[in-house]
Amino acid sequence: MGFLDIRNVTKSYGPVQVLHRIDIAVEEGEFLVLVGPSGCGKSTLLNMIAGLEAITDGEIAIKGRVVNGVHPSKRNIAMVFQSYALYPNMTVGQNMTFGLEMHGVPKPERDRALADVAKLLQIETLLDRKPGQLSGGQRQRVAMGRALVRNPDVFLFDEPLSNLDAKLRVDMRTEIKKLHQKLKTTIVYVTHDQIEALTLSTRIAVMNKGHVQQLGTPKEIYDTPANLFVATFMGSPAMNIVPATVVMENGHPHAALTDADGGVHRLRFSQANLAAWEGKPILLGIRPEAITDPEGADRKSGNIQPFSNRVTVTEPAGSDTFVTMTLSGKDVIARMRADANVTPGQSFDFAINMEKAVAFDPATEARIPA
Amino acid sequence: MAAVTQDTAVSTGRITRTFIYLVLVLFALFYLLPLYVMGVNSLKPLNEITGGNMMALPSQWTLEPWRSAWSTAQIGVEPTGLKPYFLNSILMVVPAVAISTIIGALNGYVLTKWRFRGDTWVFGLMLFSCFIPFQIVLIPMAVVLGKLGLAGTVPGLILVHVVYGIGFTTLYFRNYYASFPTELVRAAMIDGAGFFRIFWRILLPVSGPIAVVSVIWQFTNIWNDFLFGVSFGGTSQPMTVALNNLVQSSTGVKEYNVHFAGAILAALPTLLVYIVAGRYFVRGLMAGSVKG
Repeated sequence: MGFLDIRNVTKSYGPVQVLHRIDIAVEEGEFLVLVGPSGCGKSTLLNMIAGLEAITDGEIAIKGRVVNGVHPSKRNIAMVFQSYALYPNMTVGQNMTFGLEMHGVPKPERDRALADVAKLLQIETLLDRKPGQLSGGQRQRVAMGRALVRNPDVFLFDEPLSNLDAKLRVDMRTEIKKLHQKLKTTIVYVTHDQIEALTLSTRIAVMNKGHVQQLGTPKEIYDTPANLFVATFMGSPAMNIVPATVVMENGHPHAALTDADGGVHRLRFSQANLAAWEGKPILLGIRPEAITDPEGADRKSGNIQPFSNRVTVTEPAGSDTFVTMTLSGKDVIARMRADANVTPGQSFDFAINMEKAVAFDPATEARIPA
Repeated sequence: MAAVTQDTAVSTGRITRTFIYLVLVLFALFYLLPLYVMGVNSLKPLNEITGGNMMALPSQWTLEPWRSAWSTAQIGVEPTGLKPYFLNSILMVVPAVAISTIIGALNGYVLTKWRFRGDTWVFGLMLFSCFIPFQIVLIPMAVVLGKLGLAGTVPGLILVHVVYGIGFTTLYFRNYYASFPTELVRAAMIDGAGFFRIFWRILLPVSGPIAVVSVIWQFTNIWNDFLFGVSFGGTSQPMTVALNNLVQSSTGVKEYNVHFAGAILAALPTLLVYIVAGRYFVRGLMAGSVKG
């Protein structure tokens, strides 16, 4: 049993079911990120944990206590909203202590809690201002401060960074991570940004169309995606998905691919059980950073396969150069060192790290397990 | 800078501008003329009106017509002046405006932040009440007031005006609160505030502009109402009915100067409300529509 248990939770609006049997156990101190495209049900699930939406079926328990039907204020949770939801008529200090006031905490104690949190977030100088006089980043801090003052069991974040500009978003992301490492609080965090999910979380639940597609650590999600949706949703640029056929050579399964000029390449799989798929089509999944020039290949990998192909486009992006080529009729992106000497329209010798390759069943779109 | 604005903005020359102001001044004078006539004639003895020019300034200034209209003029059969009726109107208007505004605010709060099945229908029906002419409800209202034992009393009039005003005040507050972020209400719920606490601490403090709209609208309508006053006023008739009785009296000399003074007295409170709160009126009306 976890610290926060979501057991077989479903949600329906009339005949429309938006969440299907969600089952997640969150341990104390864990940072769980719910990530998925808009409309996947992640915010609905968060609102159900908060008690802002009713649970159609199943149960949610916090610290072993089932909270279905318990009023949001009695669940000992705090929520940071996308719009920050700061009360416009109150000062920052009043905003942060409103919850304590409503719970009947005496003033001296409220002031002490406020002072502690204000110091932690370095917003001591803002306490007498109104939200309207704050910048976006300051509002974000105040919204987090309001949650922290309550000292709740579970923190809920609803896309808290999506209203900030790109630079501030990266800064605040680091700050939230620091805060979590320092306070070791239990956090459920909703976002549609896969980078946020990968950087912040200790575990990720990737959601789509009301189902949890995969629940796992960022590394598990990134390296061994459960299915095509997770593979293409997480990571930027997305994982390359190429149709291939499994062929046997020297007793090892290989992926047979055609390059831009019709030449066939056979790349040896590290995953031995793919022998069972001999002669059958699969979908080969390969991350852009697993395709490099031979000098840039991962030295620790035991399975670097060379192949050559014609380059379609190069996109220098400062730290890396993205190179596009065609494999089995699909555009494939490779991530090169910035100074790799690649010319569009010419053939180039690539190195592909087949240890990182994954294979999907084209019929079910699920990953073929090793 | 000046050159830039002339290039980009619609350029208005000196002549055009003079012309615009001239027209505006003329219109202003035209609209102020009745007030001028009422003002000057309420300050002169009766013989100056009957014997001479209505437009002229008084040759002999006097406050006597005002004094008479306020405290001694014949209203119906009693020589009481307008004073007691003025008080009746105040006693009726203040609670009626306050109650209808508070109920409208609560309705708006519930219809936007505590939505329930069929709430749009409820709101639609309330809106419908804005379009019902006064005359239609006279007889049913009389029956209800009679059954409640409130016929002919100030509380009865208050009830009538509250019932009639709720449609408008609900419309104002609902549209205003519709653009109020629901996340704030949710945040307050998590913070532990209840239904009334959220209303009182979160919504009401930011409702100033729309409250002004509601108060002005209700005040002018209720103060200026004649039909309900004359139908249900009984012994506690409002100012409008008394003014009618003063002006329409069929016996004795028509004291036009007193009538003018009485008419101004009857119009003063609404005038005052507009002068004090008028600039918030437009601001409040615009608020809901522009913010989005």
